[in-house]
This record gives sequence, C-alpha cells and structure tokens, in this order.
Amino acid sequence: MNLLEDLLETLDRMVNDQFESVEFRNFLAVPLTLERGRFYVVQNALYTSNRRDCWGYVQGGAPLEVKRVIWEHESDELINDPRAGMDHYALTVKQGEVIGLKPEDFERAEIPAMVQACFHAWHHIAMHNHWLSAYTASHMLERRNNGKIVKGGGMSYRVGKKFENELGINLKRMISLDVHVVADTDHSENISEMFKRYVKTEEDRDLVLKGAQESMATDRAYRGALGYYMAQIN
Amino acid sequence: MSATNGLETMWSELVELCNEQFNSPPFKRLLGTKFTQARAQQYSIQMAYYVRNRRDGWGYVQGSAPFEVKKLIWQHEEDELIGQKAQGKVDHITLAVKEGEVFGLSAEAFERTARLEGGEVCFSAWIRLAQRPWLEAIAGSAILEMRNSGELIRGGSLSSRIAAMLERDLGVPMKKQINNAEHVVMDVEHANLLMRVARKYAGGEGERRAILRGARESLMIDRVYRGHLADTLEALA
Repeated sequence: MNLLEDLLETLDRMVNDQFESVEFRNFLAVPLTLERGRFYVVQNALYTSNRRDCWGYVQGGAPLEVKRVIWEHESDELINDPRAGMDHYALTVKQGEVIGLKPEDFERAEIPAMVQACFHAWHHIAMHNHWLSAYTASHMLERRNNGKIVKGGGMSYRVGKKFENELGINLKRMISLDVHVVADTDHSENISEMFKRYVKTEEDRDLVLKGAQESMATDRAYRGALGYYMAQIN
Repeated sequence: MSATNGLETMWSELVELCNEQFNSPPFKRLLGTKFTQARAQQYSIQMAYYVRNRRDGWGYVQGSAPFEVKKLIWQHEEDELIGQKAQGKVDHITLAVKEGEVFGLSAEAFERTARLEGGEVCFSAWIRLAQRPWLEAIAGSAILEMRNSGELIRGGSLSSRIAAMLERDLGVPMKKQINNAEHVVMDVEHANLLMRVARKYAGGEGERRAILRGARESLMIDRVYRGHLADTLEALA
C-alpha cells in the first residue's frame, strides 16, 4: 500500500474510532428532551461559527491553490448553500424554530467553559501549525460527518436520528442536520482531494496525522463537554 | 466625542497616514527609481509575492472577524483569488503573471525567482499583524488598499504612480499593465471596506484606537518593504 492510501485509511479509521470513544458514547447516550435539544442546537450554531474562524485561519496559511478550494468551501457555509438556499449559520437558526428557538436565543447564547476551551484549542491548531496539520484538523471534522466513511452514519445523521427517535421530529425538519449529512460528505471529499496533491513524503504524512490527532482529541473533549452539560438539564 | 465624530476623525487620520506614506524616504526612493526592463521584471515578480501575502493576511483576518465581516472579506477575496468569471475577469495572481508578459517575463520566471529577503521579513510581520485581535488585523490589511485608492491619495495611488513610471520609462501604456490598471480601479472600491466595518464595530474609543494601531503598524511595515524594493531595484542595471 502506498503512503497516501495508507494515510487515508488511517484517517478513516480515526473518524470511525471517535464513535467508540467514551466521550462520544456518553454524548450520544444522553436522552434528548426538548430543553436538551434546544441547548444542542444553539451550541451547534456556536460550533459552526468556530468552524468559520478556523477555516479562515487555514485559508490564511495554505498555498494559493488550497486557498481557492477553501474559498469555494466557505461559499456554502458563509454565503449560500444551494442545497438550503441560505448560509449554514442562518440554516441553524432556522432549524431552531422547529424546537421553539428564536434568533435572540442564538445571539445571547453563552459558551460553556469546557466548550470555550475546545474552541480555543481548535483556533490554536488552525493558526499555529503547519498548514497541512491545520487543514487536516478542520477537514477531519467533516470527514467524521461523512456517512460514506463512518459506519453507522456521521455525527449529524446520528444526532438527527436522535431528534427523530426521541423527540419525534423528522430528520427532514431538522434542516441543518439534514443538509450537513450531504454537505459534509461533499466537502470532505473535495477537501480530501488536496492530500493527493500535497502529501508526497513521510514528513507530509506526519503533519497530516498531527493535525488529525489533535483535532480528534479536541472533538472528543468537545462532545464529552456537550454530553456533560446536556445531562445537567432536566 | 460622539461616535460619528470619532469615526470621521479616525477616517481623516487614516487617510492622512496613507498620504504621508508618499512623503516617507522609502516611498520617495522607490518612486524616484527609473525603470529599466530588468527592474520592471523584478518589481513585477515581487509584486506577485506581495499579492500572495495579502491573501494570507486576509485569510487570517477572515478567521478572527465577526460573521458579518467574514462575509465581506469572502466577497473581497473573490476578486483576488477567483476573479469575476461572469465579467471575464481572472484572479489577481494570474493577472500579475499575465502582466509580466509585457515586461518579457514568462510564468516560469515567477516560479523560479525567490522572494526578497527583506520582503520575506515584511511578509512575516504582516502575517503576525493579521493574527492579532481582529480590529487591528483588519485595519492592517485594509489600510494597504486605502493607500492604493486614487480617491484618497493626493497625486495618485501607488499602483497608478508606478504605472505612470513604467509608461514613462519603458513606453508600456497603462492599458497594457493589466494588473496595475485593475488595482487602480479595485482598490478604490476595496478601500471603503474598513469604514463600512468601523461604522458598525468601532463605536467606542478603544475600538477606534485598535484600528489606528493596526493601520499604523501596517504602514510602517509597508515603508520597510518599499525601502527593500527600492534597494533591490537600484542594485539592478
């Protein structure tokens, strides 16, 4: 097996392993109530904002060709996703209406301490690493959401199914989760293409793995934190 | 001071700072250069690196800015990174390389010519500025476009002055300097971005001081960079 194939297989294994971690298991095991669902949706909007920060930083550090790929990627996120007819932040706010959330609930939302720490960690990875590590760190969160790679479905799909099974809200009505089931599959495939072009040596591979490991560790901490806070809500 | 007066005062100060750049010794030396073909080639290549560094800087600024400002920067970067395909306009890096043809440069010349050492240091300084708190960072990037706005700079922007020198010394008309010509137009439009942002986000003295701090620091780096460019051009026949 060559360097690239081996690397991509490792990345696939890593995103699947996330769902076996104690943090992911605990998070996905917390029974949803309407209040917990609201908390999750608001927090997910903040997570989406943090992704926009990080992709900007990654764009800053990346080679020109990669900048262009990220710029296209951010078109869906920041400006307009043709699948949804709006940007992804607006989509999350709109999704909130289904469970009784208003735009003000998003505007005045506070970032809980453990979540804040994770957001800072992702900022740090995106801004202060070699671009390949930074790029991979952001990419891995979409790869972890790619149902073609993650057995049993990516995170958006699984959370969407929880809303359906535990709150009786059809996944199609959870428009942000539903769009991300598809969008992150497309995004992760487009972004993954760049590895073919830029990973040529063991050093390149190690930079990719460094970013992947650090981001997945932060992701586990983040999901663990969300599960903890959700469990505090009656 | 009211927020409106404070903004107007800040804007006037920013415009003055940009104009003062042209009275600084490094700018005077650069603008006092007589272009030869070799100098024009070197200048053209180094400008392509400068444009790339701007893309780095704006990326970092986009990362730290609020959501609404991220959108503005994303749109700004369309001209620079992608081009306006519907209008048949290419991105600005391609444009810089294409402009090089009129000075006898091939695309390979851009790839095989190194960045100036002094340029490298300035580029790192600009990146560091772009990673600072977002109001300082955005001012650091936006001020370079204000300094290139023919509406704000008395006697013409840097791009238009350089274009006039190239026309005078090498007989290359402005319309053939497609990169310079584009920036003479685009940077007038882009120069307004900072004020649009300031109107919403710089209501307090602290915010306005942050903008001025970022702008001053960037203009200082700009002077050092132009000085290095002048040295390099002077050393060429």
